Amino acid sequence: MILGTSFKYLRSSLAMTRAGIASAMEYRVSFIMQVVGMILNDAALIVVWLIFFQRFPVLNGWTFQNSILLFSITTINFGLMMIFGRGITELARYISRGELDSYLVHPKSVLWQVATSRTDISAIGDTIFGLILLPFAGISTWPQVLTFALVVIFSALIFFNFLTIVQSLAFFFGHFEEAAEQTMHALLGFTLYPQSSFSGILKLITLTVLPAYFIAAVPVELVRHPEPWLLLQIFLFWLASALLARLVFRAGLRRYESGNLLSVKM
Amino acid sequence: MSITRKYLAVARVNYFTSVNYLVNVASRGLVVALRVWIFAQLYRATYNLSGEESIGGLTLPMVIWGLMLTQSFQSATRPPVARLIEDEVKSGTLAYSLNKPVFYPLFHCAGYLGRILPNILFNLAVGGLAALILVGPINWTVGGFILGLWLLFFGYILDFLIFFIIGLLSFWIEDISAFIWIYSKAQLVLGGLILPISLFPEAIRKVAELTPFTQLYYGAARLMVQFDLPTFFRFFSVQLFWLLVFGLTAWFVFRKGLKQVAINGG
Repeated sequence: MILGTSFKYLRSSLAMTRAGIASAMEYRVSFIMQVVGMILNDAALIVVWLIFFQRFPVLNGWTFQNSILLFSITTINFGLMMIFGRGITELARYISRGELDSYLVHPKSVLWQVATSRTDISAIGDTIFGLILLPFAGISTWPQVLTFALVVIFSALIFFNFLTIVQSLAFFFGHFEEAAEQTMHALLGFTLYPQSSFSGILKLITLTVLPAYFIAAVPVELVRHPEPWLLLQIFLFWLASALLARLVFRAGLRRYESGNLLSVKM
Repeated sequence: MSITRKYLAVARVNYFTSVNYLVNVASRGLVVALRVWIFAQLYRATYNLSGEESIGGLTLPMVIWGLMLTQSFQSATRPPVARLIEDEVKSGTLAYSLNKPVFYPLFHCAGYLGRILPNILFNLAVGGLAALILVGPINWTVGGFILGLWLLFFGYILDFLIFFIIGLLSFWIEDISAFIWIYSKAQLVLGGLILPISLFPEAIRKVAELTPFTQLYYGAARLMVQFDLPTFFRFFSVQLFWLLVFGLTAWFVFRKGLKQVAINGG
């Protein structure tokens, strides 16, 4: 029954995303500009690290090729998360404005409805860019390719769970939109840097509060050196984060008050 | 009401609006502190590996304080003026804004400067504390501070002009996100936000210092951490050139844009 329900939600998610993309493609020029613009945006980040590694070729065993692999993983997992679940980044705004009402009356998971309510077209550019980087990331065997696909999915789900927790804090703190956005940028910030440079308390932060370790460092290490223990780590963290996200969201939803705002969903 | 008092009033309103949401101000400051922490670990590792006390004329504390300053200056400018103009165009409130007894570009400039102030104060306080704890103090000079502030003021005007031009593109283009991203990434690559320009390879550094992006915040930060008069005159002359170029471009695009708005009925 759980599998059946999950399959139904997956199928509905694909349908919602397809509708969102089809709707955006009505404005062809805007669609292309967003996708191409994001590819250029991501390419500029690589340029910074190209210049950095020209100056400092190796950093605690981390090379430019590792950064390419890191970017490939993080742009694809971010891209997938934003294509299928962009709406989750608007949860804090919906809460503060009392706009969750229309989602409460439907017989489907409120969290799922919010997450799939929007699709980020520019995230298609992120995903394409990550795939463009793949041939340069040092992946040469089929086990590495399969491991890559697996870790990208798990890290995207962990990212989603993290955003659910952070955005749900708006249930408890009120106007939390910008703080939630800054927290997301803080996490994304961690995923840009050579992971070997973090140590001490900062490393602890990446293992817990801002889980960049499981979104960036572990996936890179898993693809470079596939190990069952690392795969188990990422699986267990995904499971724990999913349970925590569900807990926080449901606890917050019980506190939700309508804003009596009339809104139209089109 | 005199002209100056009118725009000071606009700046004051935006200042208090920004201060009203302290969580947002605080979250930006905390993200700056977190980035300073990341940079401290990253560059401590690179300096240890190189075995040198100073690279590109900068010691490790100078690099970290410089990055803290550029991050604090840049982070204070959110939300981008371009997004505000885009929202006005999409919602139609542009018609009301243009009918007000204020000069539209100056109206937005005053608002921009008013919004920056609380953010920059908090960013510098929190970021400065982080830098002090992580790398200790550096030798500040009165001349460097004052002339750095001078460059910073004009850097903010330059940033406003560029974002204003991008915002005006929404008079013609449905979605200007791609332009905002590209400009933001140009700031990141050439604005010294991740890698100080002084650490660039010599040939790239010379070209970078001639671009407008280096003269936004990096020039001011560089002068504050390592003051010398010839560098000030060099940076300010490049800044003046770009202020002239973008000032004239903004004027031209605005006049063209006004005709566009009139043709569509406002």
